[in-house]
Amino acid sequence: MINLENVSKSYSNKIKVLKNINLSIKPGEFVSVVGQSGAGKTTLVRLLTGEERTDEGRVLIGDWDITKISRREVPYLRRQMGVIFQDFKLLPKKTLMENVSFALEVSGGSSEKIKKIVPSVLKIVGLEDKKNRYPNEVSGGEQQRTAIARALVHQPKILLADEPTGNLDAINANEIINLLLRINKFGTTVILVTHNKEIVNHLNKRVITMERGQIISDQEHGKYLL
Amino acid sequence: MLSIFRIIKFSFQDIVRNIWLTIVTITILLLALFSINTLATLRLISDNAVQAVKEKVDISLYLKSDSSDNEIMLLKNKIASSSRVKNVVYISKQSAIESFRQKYENDPAVLAALKELGRNPLSPSLTIIPNNFDESNLLINELKTINSPLIESRDFSDNSIILNKINNITKRVNEVGLFVISIFILTSLLVVYNAIRVAIYTHRQEIEIMRLVGASNFFVYMPYVFSAIVYSLLSVLIMICVFYPFLTLLQPYLETFFMGYNINILAYFVDNFWFIFGGQFIVVLFINVVASLFAVRKYAKV
Repeated sequence: MINLENVSKSYSNKIKVLKNINLSIKPGEFVSVVGQSGAGKTTLVRLLTGEERTDEGRVLIGDWDITKISRREVPYLRRQMGVIFQDFKLLPKKTLMENVSFALEVSGGSSEKIKKIVPSVLKIVGLEDKKNRYPNEVSGGEQQRTAIARALVHQPKILLADEPTGNLDAINANEIINLLLRINKFGTTVILVTHNKEIVNHLNKRVITMERGQIISDQEHGKYLL
Repeated sequence: MLSIFRIIKFSFQDIVRNIWLTIVTITILLLALFSINTLATLRLISDNAVQAVKEKVDISLYLKSDSSDNEIMLLKNKIASSSRVKNVVYISKQSAIESFRQKYENDPAVLAALKELGRNPLSPSLTIIPNNFDESNLLINELKTINSPLIESRDFSDNSIILNKINNITKRVNEVGLFVISIFILTSLLVVYNAIRVAIYTHRQEIEIMRLVGASNFFVYMPYVFSAIVYSLLSVLIMICVFYPFLTLLQPYLETFFMGYNINILAYFVDNFWFIFGGQFIVVLFINVVASLFAVRKYAKV
């Protein structure tokens, strides 16, 4: 489903942050991408969301070569996948419900669809009773659950989670990982980028380890190696 | 239609939920507009003042004391027929002395000297008001060529000096006025442009988030463009509400200052309402929209 073929990427300082990456992720997989800071994990996520372009190689999602998409097509790509971030990236002046419905509103979803989907995803993440609160009125874990609800409204086939537990305590981090596992059980491919050794070891799922822009290990039921 | 409705909704949500930012932005726009309008009013007053001074300029042609009224009337009509002449007023010897006495009624020494003289020493004259102040010198040249034995003096050198001085002063007032108003307009426009950029800078994270959740350019840009329209409209409307009472308060002072002249700033602003405030709305809207588009573009490159 996701294929990276000979992908390289460097920034203006010409130092390659990704070097000849070859990677294949099957539909419905739960993959953890681990590595130290500067290993290229976030660049990998940014290539998948269309925030960055490859210097060499191509990135395929299904049959869609996203290295060739125009800027106009980027929003359509992002509606096909859910993305969650370490800093949640919620709109501070919108309520939790408005944050979730915003993703549907800007993609032209009908009012009926919004009324039907938004309460159901808020229920999945357990926030139906806090839907009218603003992000600064709830905990970090609840903010991240809102971000997950927002990522789910398009019923994406892929969910990218870039350090989703980085700003959370152990209990909230576990809740988020359990939520990701539940989403994965529904058939959604989950790509989890993390530093958290305990979480990765506990998951016992596929682990891709990166170092200095290269994949140094890809294990089916892996552990945190670094 | 649904998209436009949502854009308007997002925009109003943003305006209301960021109320302090909205107030600050509109206040900056308002101050810029107030500065421009105040300067425009000052320019209008200075134009009126200059015009009042120009209207005061006349040229006196002194005639021989023994000239008969009939001869003087013929000369008066001849001069009045010139296209450069607006009006010619005949001041007889008698009128001249009465006017002189009135002028020096509080100066007993002058009046005593006049009495001592025992006769009217003043000459009759024709006071010529030019049609166009700027052509006064041409009119003086024309008067110099009139061949009439009634004319006592053809020396207009004092008039020429005064005319040149007034011309220089009004020209300088115009140049300085234009320079000051240009600087003010430019500064105000830059302030407005920057205010909008700062307002959007505070939204940079939201713009990034919009892009990341799949918002198209239309949904990223248009709420800010719509907000720019609302800011422009509100600032101009408040400006109108503030400026008219200000002009109403100013008008009596101007009437007292320019007594005898028809100066009505309020009427000018009422008569030119659409030109002044419609024009300001269009300019402010243009600046706001351009600033919004450039600022959003900067943060929407995600």
